[in-house]
Amino acid sequence: MKKKKIAITLGIMCLMLTLAIAVQIRSVKGGTQVAVQSKTENDLKDEVFRWKEKYDTTHKLVEESEKELEKVRSEATKNSENDSNAEKQVKENNMLLGLTNVKGSGVVITIKDNSNTKASSVLDPSLLLVHDGDLRSIVNELKNAGAEAIEINGQRIVQTTAIVCDGNVVRINGEKLGSPFVIKAIGLPERLYNVNRVGGYLEMLEDDGVSTEIKKSNDITISKYNGVITNEYMETVR
Amino acid sequence: MRKDKMVIIIIVGIVAAVLSGTMFMQFRAVEWTEETQIEGMREAELRTTIAEYKEKYEELETKLLDNNKKIDEYNQKLESNQESAELVEKELEQTNLLVGKTKVKGEGVIVTLKDVDENRITPDILVELINELRYAGAEAISINNKRIINMTDIAEVTAGYLVINSGDQSRITSPYEVKAIGKEEYLASNLSLKNVGFIDKYNSSGYDIQLTKDNNITIEPYEGNINIKYMEEAE
Repeated sequence: MKKKKIAITLGIMCLMLTLAIAVQIRSVKGGTQVAVQSKTENDLKDEVFRWKEKYDTTHKLVEESEKELEKVRSEATKNSENDSNAEKQVKENNMLLGLTNVKGSGVVITIKDNSNTKASSVLDPSLLLVHDGDLRSIVNELKNAGAEAIEINGQRIVQTTAIVCDGNVVRINGEKLGSPFVIKAIGLPERLYNVNRVGGYLEMLEDDGVSTEIKKSNDITISKYNGVITNEYMETVR
Repeated sequence: MRKDKMVIIIIVGIVAAVLSGTMFMQFRAVEWTEETQIEGMREAELRTTIAEYKEKYEELETKLLDNNKKIDEYNQKLESNQESAELVEKELEQTNLLVGKTKVKGEGVIVTLKDVDENRITPDILVELINELRYAGAEAISINNKRIINMTDIAEVTAGYLVINSGDQSRITSPYEVKAIGKEEYLASNLSLKNVGFIDKYNSSGYDIQLTKDNNITIEPYEGNINIKYMEEAE
């Protein structure tokens, strides 16, 4: 009788352990599939580097071709007043589009996520962070104050620029950027500085716990937009 | 009897030890599996990055071909000592189009926003809408027939009255008609995402925003001059 009891207990134990092993083996089978994937991942990494290199090379060529184009354009138009006027306007348009590096006076604003306050000590920790909407509002205020060129962490704000939230980071012109955000704007420094007014957006951010700083400068350089602005869907109505 | 029991206990012990050992090994393998699964998630990111680089590369490639073609054309004119009026005019027209100085048409969407009691349309809402439209590839945008260009700002003068392009003092008020030219499908689907999309997000909290698709939208040019006062070209 006793032996039978022991045998049954043993049987159940073995069954359970075997079952557990079977389950484990199945999940490990999945694992080998992943191992194959991680090989493709290395291939993918290679591919990323290849495309990046192609992009970088072409980017350089485009830069060179742009300089060359400006040179031949001004050369070819210098003999006619009409043409050189048109040439000047093309250059101005490119400046307005954000396709040239520009310099001038203006302000530099730095805003940073609050890292001194513990998230648990405030009602809404999200207020301690800089969000896409904050950047859009500041850009709008700078334009209201007459900014002619704006960039955020090296990304020129052009008319196709979207500032969107992407998890823990913000995407501008498709590039991932994180705090601190350095916003440069060219325009009349005194007017741009007004973004710092009482009740203005910077003060609101400061009240929420985000650290902000604004400085006037006579020597600001803003780099051009790295992408291409095209018209695929719109055409001029004549 | 006692000896028998001992033997059984020892056998059970050995079996249990072997089985536990196997299980332990398996567990380790499973831990490793999860680690690579995280890497697997990164694979999706890698694929997105490749797609992004590819797209940017193709854009640049087109631009490069275009630039080189223009350079050749100018050089030909230079060599044959001909006027290049035609060429520079063509470039001027193209850049005027991009800046927003011409009347344009194309497919796109029209978004109509109305003030509803407490839920007034603020500059921030319109700035967000413009951002969403640009994200979806809008090429030209206007609000109540005022063209939105790169330097455009939106400000509230008094409650319910907005100014688009601060140099221009004419006020606009509800209903706001926002027109955008671009790929109709992208523009519409980005705005109409369930719950998180612009329209659902605001309408579910009591706003009145409507979307219409239109394959023939006309957008007016920017009124007035665009003056450059403070920036100059840099190296």
